[in-house]
Amino acid sequence: MQRRTFLQNTVAGAVLVTASGVGLLNPRKAQAAWPKAAFAAVKSKDSVKALFGDAEIVEGGITLKAPLQAENGAVVPLKITTSLPNVEEIAVVVEKNPFPLTSRLKVFPGSGGYFAVRVKMAKTSKVYVYVKAGDKVHVAAQEIKVTIGGCGG
Amino acid sequence: MKRLIVTVTLTGFAMVVAAGAWATPKDDIAQYQGYYKKRFPGVALQSYSDGVNVLPQYAARRANWELLMEFPPYEAEMDKARAEWAKPFANGKTFSDCFKNNPPATKYPYVDAKGDMRSVVGDVNRCLKANGEKPIKNLKTGKIARLVAAFKEQFNGQKMAVNVNSPAALKWYDRGKKIYWTRRGQLNFSCASCHVQNAGNQIRGDVLGAGLGQGTGFPVYRTKWMLKGKPWGTLHRRYAGCNKNVRAKPFKPQSKEYLALEFYQAVMNTGISLKVPSQRQ
Amino acid sequence: MARTIKMKIKKSGSEYRVLVLVKHPMETGRRKDKKTGKLVPAHYIETMTFSLNGKLVAEANMGTGVSKNPLLGISLTAAKPGDKVSIHWADNKGESGSVESVVK
Repeated sequence: MQRRTFLQNTVAGAVLVTASGVGLLNPRKAQAAWPKAAFAAVKSKDSVKALFGDAEIVEGGITLKAPLQAENGAVVPLKITTSLPNVEEIAVVVEKNPFPLTSRLKVFPGSGGYFAVRVKMAKTSKVYVYVKAGDKVHVAAQEIKVTIGGCGG
Repeated sequence: MKRLIVTVTLTGFAMVVAAGAWATPKDDIAQYQGYYKKRFPGVALQSYSDGVNVLPQYAARRANWELLMEFPPYEAEMDKARAEWAKPFANGKTFSDCFKNNPPATKYPYVDAKGDMRSVVGDVNRCLKANGEKPIKNLKTGKIARLVAAFKEQFNGQKMAVNVNSPAALKWYDRGKKIYWTRRGQLNFSCASCHVQNAGNQIRGDVLGAGLGQGTGFPVYRTKWMLKGKPWGTLHRRYAGCNKNVRAKPFKPQSKEYLALEFYQAVMNTGISLKVPSQRQ
Repeated sequence: MARTIKMKIKKSGSEYRVLVLVKHPMETGRRKDKKTGKLVPAHYIETMTFSLNGKLVAEANMGTGVSKNPLLGISLTAAKPGDKVSIHWADNKGESGSVESVVK
């Protein structure tokens, strides 16, 4: 009797701990603080370091759909997909922006290797997409041309 | 070889324009649509409602439009537009009550019994006035554009078929055609200079869209205008912008000139489906 | 007045993709107001959380490099029709908003 009750309580306790760990009790509350240092970095390598430390960065495993030339530098749509297992984080860095890190997605169980975002590009630049999967950080890059145009008012 | 074909086609056009009266709208449509078929052999007629995005010269930028279209920026606004269209006036009537007596969007603009050219913009305001409501003053952006979008989207997929069968309509048609082919402004360009003769070519880093299909997607939701807080544009807003680009004094929205131009373009678009609203840069 | 927010849930293979659009200025803090000549202060969404049936599945952090009227998209790997998706955003000025939808 006593042992069964003890076990039941332990299980219930474990569920409670796990739930609060991934925000079940407070689904609106963000899991971690906004990464100020990463967003404030003015050099892309510093924003990458602020996010991933000294992790080994390898190429491949990421598909980036993006225009070769942007219609308007203020709204450049990007679509990132990856079939790498155990994706934890996806980050988008625009090299020539005043603050290269534009956004990053933390991926928890229930979500996968897909991220869509629309970013600002100050000028023609390489766009780097980082995916942390397992213990490695993968990268893919593409240059996107930005010209000034726009006929008609 | 390609240049030669273009020159020959243009001469054909010039002949038609010069002759004026004896060229029927039907002849003009065949010639106009045929010109683009030759110039852009891989582009189907129906694709022209997607504008510059379907031209091969736009390939480097096409993914930009495709990605935006996965969730068009105008979608959130269209909920608002449909609500505005459906909202009853103080007297209980709605826009649908007026428009059920009007032609379908595929037959706009049209010439009425009095010989006046009737556009969707004009008929929206006529409806408001007839029901004791204030007409909309801003004919370029905002609410008027949303209402036009809410009306026209009900006919998406249906083919343009405006009526040019009366002497009054033919007069409007000839007037519109003349405006389209007449050079204007400091830069001395006609609509045709850019959108016929130079369709697909670059100007100041932009690719010129084909004249064929222009209007079938209006009202337009533009990224450029969204950034300034006035994303929507009626066709006449766009005409004014174009006129300013060639440093010509623009006409007023819903002026006779722009109504005639809208009519001519609608006739040239015969057979192309409506696709409203459109997302453009 | 609440900022317009719209969510779309689309099936993509065995997964679902959630796209969300928020009407937000995403001001960088480097733009000058044409009328006053003064810099418009930075005003941008910092964090957006995505939850499935109350469980947090993804969290996005943004800076001023994300476009005005931002769009974000994430995937759901284990959702099914009837599941509830909720999205919540919070910006650097303490403003927030949310939207909910059901997987069809």
